[in-house]
Amino acid sequence: MLPTRAIAAFHRLVPLAGAGALVGIFFILLVWPLTCLVIGSLHEGNTGGGAFTWENYAAFFRSHRALTALGNSLWVSLLVAVLSVALCFAPAWVFVRHPFPGIRVVRAVFTLPMSFSGILIGFLSVIMLGRIGVVPRFLEWLTGTPHFSGAAYQLGGILLAYFYFEIPRATLALEAALRKMDPRLETAARSLGASRGQTFRWIVFPQVLPALLTTFALTFCVSLGSFGVVLIVSKRFSLLPLQVFEEVFASNHYPAAAAMSVVLLAIALFVSLGGRWLAARFSPGLSH
Amino acid sequence: MDATANSIALPEVTEVSVRPARARRPLLLYAVTAVILAVILTPVLVVVAGSFLNTAFLGLASEQWIGDGSDAHELITFKWFTYVLATYRPQLWMSAQLAFASVVGCLALGVPAAYLLVRGSFPGRRVLEEMIMLPLALPGLAISIALIQAYIGFRGKWYFVLLGHLLYTLPFMVRIVASALRGFDVAALERAAESLGASRWQRFRYVVLPNLRHSVTLGSLLVFAVSFGEFNVSFLLCTPLTATFPSALYATYTFNSFQVSSAATVIFLAVILPVLLLIQWIGGDEARVEQGA
Repeated sequence: MLPTRAIAAFHRLVPLAGAGALVGIFFILLVWPLTCLVIGSLHEGNTGGGAFTWENYAAFFRSHRALTALGNSLWVSLLVAVLSVALCFAPAWVFVRHPFPGIRVVRAVFTLPMSFSGILIGFLSVIMLGRIGVVPRFLEWLTGTPHFSGAAYQLGGILLAYFYFEIPRATLALEAALRKMDPRLETAARSLGASRGQTFRWIVFPQVLPALLTTFALTFCVSLGSFGVVLIVSKRFSLLPLQVFEEVFASNHYPAAAAMSVVLLAIALFVSLGGRWLAARFSPGLSH
Repeated sequence: MDATANSIALPEVTEVSVRPARARRPLLLYAVTAVILAVILTPVLVVVAGSFLNTAFLGLASEQWIGDGSDAHELITFKWFTYVLATYRPQLWMSAQLAFASVVGCLALGVPAAYLLVRGSFPGRRVLEEMIMLPLALPGLAISIALIQAYIGFRGKWYFVLLGHLLYTLPFMVRIVASALRGFDVAALERAAESLGASRWQRFRYVVLPNLRHSVTLGSLLVFAVSFGEFNVSFLLCTPLTATFPSALYATYTFNSFQVSSAATVIFLAVILPVLLLIQWIGGDEARVEQGA
């Protein structure tokens, strides 16, 4: 028979042991792999062998191809994030404030792209906007000229495909934020004589700004890391993840791929932490 | 003064201006929503149609390399489904197994983890929670390369792929369960149970878990959907022997005709769509809040 004091001590240890197990799992799954990635990017041989070198990073910043891909990645992600936040605000607002019969089916459709991988969306994009895609065929039948033929392979099509990818993420994140808002604040503002524009500017906007920032950061990071779409539609236009992919599959050159991955990770971390920091700074509860 | 002014003003406000706000529907927002809905649905419908419509019959250019062309006079054909199911059965099976294993893994790890994060008090709790959520914000490709760098010897092993999937599915389960735990007063319920002599395990099993039934179901469905559709990690960690169905999709997009690709995509949708609909039906507010990654 154990003394009760020992049992109590044991009970206090259970959560600690659980937490330790959890930390262990995440060390194995995340911390150690990321460490190996950084080490691998600083060595000559695959899987971290060979001598220490900065050459992988130097080669990255010398390579015109890689830098172009990095630039493309940055501003495509930026445009897609702006587009997603701006456009998905509409469905989020409608879902929260103006529900209609059949809203569940519509919401299910909106969550559909969540489990689509980039390649699937790339395929859909080619079917719709490829050289003999549905849209150009339809427009040819309608007007005689196949407008938007091959658009899937151009910037517009790629932006649209990436936007498709972000629809559920942006909509659901914004919806969650809007649901926390109290509509009575707007009613109060309106009753005090504020115009619709003023109500939006001074009541709605400050409340949703943190969510807009975090959603922007989220969609930016997701776009930055996803390569399925360009894997399918890429002709001349390259993004950084695709370069990583090619280093692995075409050249089997892991150190270069690791260096590029570290750059990608650093940008993603910076943007998501920056977004969170800004969101905290602009959250209405803390400032003013 | 202020307090009385407020208490007098409030009822009037709600009575006067709620009605016009309801009456005026934001047409622009509806229009944008409708356009986005069309953008999502149209390609999916085209693919569904393309998967069984015999385009040769319609006089459109099409490959006829499967079968002997004897059904060229029929408008509807399911030969592409037969072909995909025959060719990519192992991948379909692999993905189904991985998705189920991910659900089991998330139940075993994610539910206790969420409980620990909400109820436990140990140093670094917040950091741990951030770490669990981190994979969602990091590029999957970079994580995959990191996993390969760290554990090159395990590449192609099914349990290695499963670990990669767990990394991406655990955040969903942990977040849903944690927010459910924060939604009711677990501490009070547990204290009550404890006062009746329930042990820690009994409290978890008979008091906490029954309250989490809903969110755990929801989390499992979500984990299944995410794992089944996952491409980045699977594609890099897999060898041809352990390839998943999304990798098979990639193969059809690269090597097969439009019809075969469409049929493969429709098979994928046939698995995913019921799960997503189920999430909406049973989900309620939790699904709304938690899917927004």
